[in-house]
This record gives sequence, structure tokens and C-alpha cells, in this order.
Amino acid sequence: MIRTCFTLAFHAYALGALAYLAVLAQGWKGMAWVARGLTAAGWLLHGIGLVLVLSAQRWVPSGFGQVVSLLSFLLVAVFLAVDLRARAALLGAFLSPAAVAVLVPSLRMDVPGPELTEGLRQPLLPVHIGVALAGLAVFGVATAVAGVYLVAERMVKGKRFGPFFKRVPSLELLDDLNRRLVTWGFIALSLTLLTGAWVQSRLRPEARWGPAELAVVVAWIAFGVLLQARIFAGWRGRRVALLTMAGFGVLVVSFVTRYGPWVAR
Amino acid sequence: MSPPLVVVGLSHHTAPLDVRERLLLPDDRQTELLEALAQAPSEALLISTCNRVELYVVGPGTDLHERTRTALTGAAGNDLAPYLYSHQGDAAVLHLFRVAASLDSMVLGEPQILGQVKDAFEQAQRLGAARGELARICAAAFGSAKRVRTETDVGRAATSMASAAVEMARHIFDGLDGKTVLLVGAGEMADLAGKHLVSAGAAKVLVANRTLERAETLAASLRGQAVPFEQLEESLILADVVVCTTASPRPIITREKVARVLKPRKHRPLFLVDLAVPRDVEPEVQTLDGVYAFDVDDIQKVIAENQAARAAAAGRAEVVVAEEVARYIRQRAVREQVPVLAQLRARAEQIRRAELERAIANLPAPLTADQAKVIEAMTAAIVNKMLHQPTAKLRAVQAGESELAEAAAELFGLDVTARKAEG
Repeated sequence: MIRTCFTLAFHAYALGALAYLAVLAQGWKGMAWVARGLTAAGWLLHGIGLVLVLSAQRWVPSGFGQVVSLLSFLLVAVFLAVDLRARAALLGAFLSPAAVAVLVPSLRMDVPGPELTEGLRQPLLPVHIGVALAGLAVFGVATAVAGVYLVAERMVKGKRFGPFFKRVPSLELLDDLNRRLVTWGFIALSLTLLTGAWVQSRLRPEARWGPAELAVVVAWIAFGVLLQARIFAGWRGRRVALLTMAGFGVLVVSFVTRYGPWVAR
Repeated sequence: MSPPLVVVGLSHHTAPLDVRERLLLPDDRQTELLEALAQAPSEALLISTCNRVELYVVGPGTDLHERTRTALTGAAGNDLAPYLYSHQGDAAVLHLFRVAASLDSMVLGEPQILGQVKDAFEQAQRLGAARGELARICAAAFGSAKRVRTETDVGRAATSMASAAVEMARHIFDGLDGKTVLLVGAGEMADLAGKHLVSAGAAKVLVANRTLERAETLAASLRGQAVPFEQLEESLILADVVVCTTASPRPIITREKVARVLKPRKHRPLFLVDLAVPRDVEPEVQTLDGVYAFDVDDIQKVIAENQAARAAAAGRAEVVVAEEVARYIRQRAVREQVPVLAQLRARAEQIRRAELERAIANLPAPLTADQAKVIEAMTAAIVNKMLHQPTAKLRAVQAGESELAEAAAELFGLDVTARKAEG
């Protein structure tokens, strides 16, 4: 049942990604709704599979496969919310394939995952992992938005007005989406640090912060400065898009350092 | 036989903006050019807009084309020669009709060009440079343009420079609601752009012009606010969209000026639309972060994307123009036949009278008044019946059949040279 849910979700995402790519290539508005429908169906199946897996593990994902599966689920959730709110189907052409790619390792995950040690059974651990992955997903979508912004701005500045240009949302909308996503991502990142510090103090009070934790702190400071600059100095546009991508890069490094399949648990 | 009409010029089809900028002649040079070329019996018309400069000349001589070309390059420089195109005869007539009907415009169907051609015609009339055939061609071209506008969708569906600018603004802003527009210049183009932007949702319109009264008039019509030209920099801080349409010979909005206002603007995006030729906005402005500057050539790229959608309407408009050109040529041909007919009838009447008088003189006894009347009527009837078919044919002459008049002149031994001079 669980594997069936994940396999069906994977196929629905893959078909949704193809539909989103068709929207990008041909600009078919009707196809955008097909893409959303397929992606939403995949997301529901994915959610059912995750509930079945995580409910048996005290809601703590175990192993790299489960972590990336949850990340992929959150990424699609954030993207669908953004697409439905801003009608930015074009983003799907970039994010859906990314979600499919992220989901691939989880297709071979262990179900159930490795048994959690007694020490890891901390009540705040699922919250910490959840907000950390949600933050990563939000910043992932923000990075895709930033990427589309940079491409769109390049087309505007370079005066290249092809069919693709007509399908790109306005620069102002993309910049505003970036602002909202970075704000929510920063909140998630703050909660990640707080809950992470608490969990670590309970699990390994003697341990010092490693590169993964330091990378998150660096990203948190960078995004904090970015938000301040947005609010008080009016930073926006290209500069903010580039910083968002850089911040996300730091978070990815932290994620891979912390959860990579090569990391000993 | 085509009229001796020649057009030499360049337009957005053949010359980039910097070349077109150089050919924009000041008023006194335009007057000199027209006066030099419109010495009787020649006529001349100069259409000079930001997208085209065309010199139309009607006159005698086989070297008319060369003279026109030399006059234009003489006024603007020999290095322009590679960008020049020319048409002669009916091809030149068709070109003028298409220009007036906005079928040759950068924005297909844009309404300004007809006004600009009319202005050029009025200028030529004022100088006495358009008085005969050229005036008739222009009148027919205006009628044709009016028909195109009323009978086809090309005018209604057309995207003007102003509406193309609005379309571009929508790629930068998520709608124009609540945005502030600054119009620099207060002419017809500024008026059109302002109306488009207001109808697209712009909340506030500022108008800056060197003549404050004109700014106030335009601002009043757009329910906006006139600002002194000296406060342009302060206005740039407030504006989201800036449309420049002045006739300034050098840029008004420089990179330095825009760079200074970026911080007080809190880096809000600034969309600059430069519809002026020569340009009002320094091209280097584009290098600033968050500043998007478009000149007329850039707007052309935007609207080129829309042109295909209007191809159907343009096709119908081309048919209308072709019909109107054919009608003009027909009317011209009729005008050209009138002297032949008159000469033919005069010659016949002359022969009839001479022969009648000779015959009466040879009679042994003078005719009574009644007899003279009968003979007179009979000879007149013979002449009329003989000339009926040629007259009908010459009157109903169609476009492209003006050879008939030549043949008639040849057959009846008429003075062709005199006829041509009259035409």
C-alpha cells in the first residue's frame, strides 16, 4: 500500500511535470490545470504514503529516503500554494521536475525506516525536522522564483520578447513572491535553529555545533540581513534574487551535510 | 501612363534609429528643400516623422528620381545613401496611400501617421509646393486612409506606440493600479500615452513640460498634475512609469540623474519609455539595476510580436488601399483623356465647318435658312455619330489603358506634346 502510494505519486508528479513543461513550451492555459490536477493528485497520494510511514515512527523520518520524500512533499505543497495564489504555472516547469528528481531516492527507501534509538525519541524532534524541511522547501521555491525573475529580467533588459517572455509573470509579482517566501522561510529557519538548539541540548549537551549547524546560522544571518535590507533600504529585484539563491545554496550544503546518505547515523 | 511622381526616403524598415535621428531636418532646412524642389511645374512634399523621412516630388524630366535623391542626400549627408529607398510612378502613389493608411507604420494601424502626413501636406501647401497633381494624390490618399479606418479592423485592432508601452509595463509591474506616471513632454504622443496608462489603471499622472501652460492643459485633460520642468528629478522619485516625448535635441534623462534618484526611490522599479526622436533618455540608463528603458526601436520589437495577429485585418486594408489607388489612377486617366477628346472634337468640328463652307460656296444658288439648318444638322450628326464610339471609349478608359489616348492622338493627328503639357 505504502509503496503503491509512492509509486503512483511519482508517476502523477512526472506526468504533471510533463504537462507543466508543455505549458512552458506552448502556453496552453488549459494544460496548466491538467498539470495542477496531476500534481495535486500526486501530492495527496504522496501525503497518504508519508502519513502511513511516519505515523508508525513517531512522526520522525528515518533515513535519507524518508527525509527527501518529506522534503519533496513539502516542496510540492509550497509550490502548489504559490501557483494557485499567483497563477504562476511557469514555475511548475522548473519545480515539478525538481520535485520528481528529489523523490527518486525515496522510491527505494526502507519501509519502515531504521529503528530510532531511545535517545532520539524527543517530542520536539519531529517539529525540528518538519520546520527545517519546510524552510528548505520554501527557500527552494523562492530560489526557483528568483531564477525565473533573473531570466525574465534578462529578457526585459535584453529586449527579447519571444513567446516564452509572454508567459513569464511580471517582475513585480516575482519579486513580491520572493519577498513573501523569504519571509516565511526565515521564520521557518528561525524555528529550526530554536528547536534544533533545544533538541541538541537534550540529546548531546556536550557536543559543539558542526558545519551543518554553522551553515544554517550563516544562512539565517544572511536572510535576516536580506529582509532588513528589503524593509529599510528597499532592496529588491536582481540583487535580492541572487542573494536568495546564494542563501539557498548554503542551506542545501547544510542539508546534505546533515542528511546525506553517506552520513553515519 | 503613370504620373511623374517619385518618392525617396528612409524609414524604420531600412534605417536604425541613430540614422533616422540624423535625417530629422529642422524646419528651416525643410522649407529650403521644398522650395528648391517645388519650382513650377514641379511639386514637393516632405514627410518627416520619428520613423520615416520621405520626399515626394512630382515634376517633368527623366532625371526626376536622381534629382530628388540628390536633394535629400545633399540635405542630410551622402552616407545615408545605403539606407534610402525609392519608388516611381504608380508604385510611389501606392506607397503614399499605404503610409497614410498606416500600413507601412512601425505599429500597424497606429493613428498618428495620418495626422503627420496631413501636417506635411499643409506645410507643402503653405509653401506653394503642393498645388496640382500632388495635392490630388494627397487628397485621394487621405480618403483612402479614412476608408481603411472605417471599413477595416486595422485601426481598431492596432497597437499604438502608447499601448505597446502599456503592454510592456505589464511585464514589469503586476498591473498599473496605484502606479504614478510621469509624462515628459505635452504633445499628442504624450496625450495618447497618458490616456492609455490611465485607462490601464494608473492612479496618478504628472506632466512635465518646458512650457508649463501646455503641461497644465494636458494634466487637466488627464486629471493629473503639472510639475515644473525644473523639478524633473523630484518627479522621477515619485514616478513608476516615465514616458518621454519631447523634441529635445539631447537626452533629458541621463544615467547620472536616474542614479541619483534610485536611493530616494527605495529602488522601486522604474520603467522609462522613450518615444522621442532624438532620444530623451540616455541609453546607458538601462545599465542601472531596476531601471528598464525602452526607446522607439525597442517598442517596435514589442509590437512586431503583435503584428501577426493583425495580419488578417491588414490584408483587408491592403485591398481597400489597392481599390483606392486604382480609383485614383482611373480618375487621373480620365483627366488625362479630356484634352484628347477636346482636341478630337475641335478638329472634327473644324473639318466639318471647313467642308460645309466649301460645299455651300460651290452651290449654284444660296440655300434658304431652313435648308442651311438641315445641312448643318446633318453634318453635325455625321460627326457626332462618327465620334460617338471613340468618345465613349476614351471617357470610360480604365487604369492601365491610357495608351488609348496616345493611339487616338496618333490616329487623328493631334498635338500630343501640348496634351502632355496640359496633363
